Amino acid sequence: MATIENIETDEFILDEKTLREIETMKGAGQWSIVWRRIKKDKMGMLGLYIVIFLILMAFASWILLQFDTWLTKPEVGLLWGNPDNPASLNNLYIELWIPGLNKANPVVLFNHPTYQFADQVKLPPSFMHPFGTDANGQDMLSRVFFGATNSLALGFIGQMTTVVIGTVLGSIAGFYGGIIDDILQRVIELLYSMPQFILMIFIIVLFEDIKVPGGKYAVVVIFFALIGWGGTALIIRSNFFSLKEQDFVEAERALGASDLRIIFKHILPNSLAPLIIIVTLGIAGTIFLFAALAFFGFGDATIVSWGDDLNKWQDQLLEYPWMPMFPALFIFFTVLGFNLFGDSLRDALDPRLKD
Amino acid sequence: MSLRGYIIRRVIYIVPIMLGVTLMNFTLINISPGDPVIIRIGLIHCETEDCYNAAYNREAISMGLLDSDLYTVPWFKRYVDFVSDLLRLDFGTSWYYTKAGTGRPITQIIQEHAKYTIILNVVSFLMSLLLATAIGVVSSTRQNSFWDRSLTIAMLLGYAMPLFWLAKLIMLVSYYLFDFTGVAEGDAFTEPILLNGQFYKYLILPTLALTIGGLVFMARLVRSQLLEILRQDYITTAKAKGLDSRAVIYKHAFRNGLLPIVTIIGSSLPGLLGGSVMIERVFGWPGLGTIFLNGALFRDYPLMMATNTIFPFLFLIARLLTDITYVFIDPRIKY
Repeated sequence: MATIENIETDEFILDEKTLREIETMKGAGQWSIVWRRIKKDKMGMLGLYIVIFLILMAFASWILLQFDTWLTKPEVGLLWGNPDNPASLNNLYIELWIPGLNKANPVVLFNHPTYQFADQVKLPPSFMHPFGTDANGQDMLSRVFFGATNSLALGFIGQMTTVVIGTVLGSIAGFYGGIIDDILQRVIELLYSMPQFILMIFIIVLFEDIKVPGGKYAVVVIFFALIGWGGTALIIRSNFFSLKEQDFVEAERALGASDLRIIFKHILPNSLAPLIIIVTLGIAGTIFLFAALAFFGFGDATIVSWGDDLNKWQDQLLEYPWMPMFPALFIFFTVLGFNLFGDSLRDALDPRLKD
Repeated sequence: MSLRGYIIRRVIYIVPIMLGVTLMNFTLINISPGDPVIIRIGLIHCETEDCYNAAYNREAISMGLLDSDLYTVPWFKRYVDFVSDLLRLDFGTSWYYTKAGTGRPITQIIQEHAKYTIILNVVSFLMSLLLATAIGVVSSTRQNSFWDRSLTIAMLLGYAMPLFWLAKLIMLVSYYLFDFTGVAEGDAFTEPILLNGQFYKYLILPTLALTIGGLVFMARLVRSQLLEILRQDYITTAKAKGLDSRAVIYKHAFRNGLLPIVTIIGSSLPGLLGGSVMIERVFGWPGLGTIFLNGALFRDYPLMMATNTIFPFLFLIARLLTDITYVFIDPRIKY
């Protein structure tokens, strides 16, 4: 083996850099090659850092809020106060209670996102409130920090459900073809003849009275999943069409493998790259869509999220620019981060698509 | 098959899709919770139950939910009625837009407002197409130059910026620079609008916002397409035989790059239309998007039904036009 390789590399005149690259790639798995390609792309790494920062922020804020609520519960009793009563003393702030310290003076981290301080209304950014406070007397930094949980989780859940539905339907249509495929294509054509934004508004208005656990955003996510799977299904379908004609699938079928085994063991793993790209780039689009819906008043004003804060303070832009500016800035960075990382991931997974 | 046959076939193909779309909207309205009659008469305050029942029956009959003998009309009959009204361009009367107590005919409302949407969209679409071409050509012919890098970064930033927020920022900047927010008001829409100087003044900012929205999307596309084509052998040949670079780009590269660009623009038209709704709302532009959003906020079912029939129709027409332009761009395509 080694001699053949040597002869081949002797025939082509390769510069030292390419040779070294071939040397490092030898024996490396697909994912380590992809990772190496992403690491070379500065913009992609910037996107990755933004995405990691936002995900950490969402998790940190979620854990902190849960922890604070738990500490304040009467049965736990580590902090005084009642979590159901917003005016209760220990609900004003997010605190850390260090064992051994006085219960009445825990370490205050910052304002609780839903508590309104009547004496801290419309303050411009300062040392105490780096992002200023809004017209309700809530700290914008706290709103933005705790809004990350809902904003990112909604985008992630919404995109994952569409991708799962799209993958299942696209696999069935692509594998069996025929009339199932025809019906699926007509349905997608129907769904995609409406601008998604307009269709979503139409549905939200019609179904806003429906009672489901999880409030208004549950309705938004459910219907987003029901109408948004078309793009994924089309890509997975065409992937199945090209893969099922390949020799390795034929060989597996000749060995007597069942349809399910061929789909799950052979074709789906080969469709993983487009799926990862759809999820990464799609999350950006979904977060943008949900923010747009909230911005135009079709969100849920009772929960803490960037889109809803933006909706609340959009008219204050000329007078108090810090109120809407920071939620908008975070939506912008989220979309930017996922787009940059997604582009770089696409180039790394499929270098043929690179421009 | 001839081009004319192809066009006729495509026009006929719109019919089943429109039937499907209206059926989908109709079903959604029917399965949604809440009685539309109660939503409709929510403003009526009746002292007695008789008064309320009379009002309920009157409204239900006028909405076509009950027939004149107070029997429930089956849904398929209502759908057939809706479609036959649609064919006569009769969308019924609006609940939100009223004149002297009775709802105005929706066809009339749409006729008045459609031209604003069309003017705004056509102007900004053409402008973004031109600018996207210019930017794409500049960045692909001078790849990795200062101009290319800064334009690419600007496009990336613009792509990540939510369109509605971009519109707000444009408003803010314009307010500080010119003390003019661009929110449409007053004498901007006195007829005839095409001779009205005020109209053009209020057209500037929405057009700018919508142009940037389309531009960031298209410029990336044009750049990557042109870059791919400039690497092809026939470009090298064209350069080698001594053609000047302008002829190479516009005659050889650009015409071949157009086809994939037109495809993607055609499939992204719903997104552009959705963007137009956002821009119209932010600037209070009285087009179809504002009509639709007002109808949605006040749960005006007939109006929503009408706009949700018109938007897909406009989109299907636009896609038909893109498909026809293929034939002119690519002589290899024969129908």
